[in-house]
Amino acid sequence: MTTLSRVFPKEFVERYSQFIPDSDAFLDAMQRPLKRTFRVNTLKATRERVLDLLADLRPEPLPWYDLGFSLDAGEGLGKRIEHFIGLIYVQEAASMAPPLVLDPQPGERVLDMAAAPGSKTTEMSAMMQNTGIIIANDPSPTRVRGLLGNVDRAGCLNVAVCRMDGPGLGRAVVGTCDKVLVDAPCSSEGTIRKSPQALAHWSVAAIERFPSIQKRLILAGYHALRPGGQMVYSTCTVAPEENEAVVTHLLQRQPEAEVCEVNLPGLVMRPGPVEWERERFPDAVQRCRRILPQDNDTEPFFVALIRRPA
Amino acid sequence: MTKRAREVFERFGISKDAFAGLQALEDQETIFVGTHEVMEFDAVRPMRRGIRLARMYPYSLKPTTFGMQVLGMQATRNVIELNDEQAKRLINGESLNIEADVENGFVLLKWQGFVAGVGFYKRPVLKSQIPRFRPVE
Repeated sequence: MTTLSRVFPKEFVERYSQFIPDSDAFLDAMQRPLKRTFRVNTLKATRERVLDLLADLRPEPLPWYDLGFSLDAGEGLGKRIEHFIGLIYVQEAASMAPPLVLDPQPGERVLDMAAAPGSKTTEMSAMMQNTGIIIANDPSPTRVRGLLGNVDRAGCLNVAVCRMDGPGLGRAVVGTCDKVLVDAPCSSEGTIRKSPQALAHWSVAAIERFPSIQKRLILAGYHALRPGGQMVYSTCTVAPEENEAVVTHLLQRQPEAEVCEVNLPGLVMRPGPVEWERERFPDAVQRCRRILPQDNDTEPFFVALIRRPA
Repeated sequence: MTKRAREVFERFGISKDAFAGLQALEDQETIFVGTHEVMEFDAVRPMRRGIRLARMYPYSLKPTTFGMQVLGMQATRNVIELNDEQAKRLINGESLNIEADVENGFVLLKWQGFVAGVGFYKRPVLKSQIPRFRPVE
């Protein structure tokens, strides 16, 4: 713990030791660089064909997703022809999970509330076999450019890109969406493994900037669902203020909302804290799941699956 | 399919089956292609629907690399097959001198059976029309 405390701010260590029983393993994993991972883009190529083309890199399949792979030596992957023409999408392994939990189907109407840079949008587009519609939104002009570029490269014909305030867009499509993904803007503690500089910007004050917009987005996303529709709320951060507390906010405003079990065979996930800073979360929130770095060698992620009753 | 979108498909001998379930939309200078649901979505005005298929000029149409990458897989005409070295040079913006059995004008550049992008052929010079991002190696 002494060594780790030199790397992580004391407050960071104290916060997460409260609800992660193996916090040493958590902090140790958070210090290790991430493996390079990618996803096969089935809009352009089959899994077998891509494996054949990338055989020299010896891709290892992820145990929980047959289109996701990790590489021991992945430098230069973004400079390969296979990447340029969109046969693969370089994407962090845990980031592939929220679309798999949401499980969009061909022909459905899907709202992706905070879509840039488009990793999950393009993943869902492939899951839907380029049919139906994904309304992919991001309010930032800079980030939406990256989204457009990735939609182009991945060959997504079923995506309408919008640049709007998320809650405003949610109101425009109220009650019409089969699925909604709210991969919310967050304090991105998860990116510490990818970019150790992220730790330099870490503070509780930085965390406190996000719950307000996260709560607006989760409510807007819920209202966009048709009766019987499902929403995934996810973040790449550990802070309960941005995760369980946001789902609790939704349940306080929309008590009929159902929090569903999250399960992806082969991916180890755990429930989060039952309370945080003297706020006890409703029992249903224990069905939300955390992907922790020590369990699957990924970034940390939070995933909640919510259903609007029919 | 619009008349001008059909021109793009005809130049490359792409069967209209490749267009099943899709719809084209033209603005003043661009043809976009996407699913019916994307093209008819009217709850808000998206900044982009689907993918650009081609840019329209008064006397010509320029197919786009990204449109052709996804819709040009079944092309049967005006296609040039590239080896690894040729593909890398064209993606990196170089031109090649090459003898190919195609018409002068826009051609599809195939690598390993996939459409890598669009080129412009004027015998014997093949110029890349592929947008340049980071170089491939």
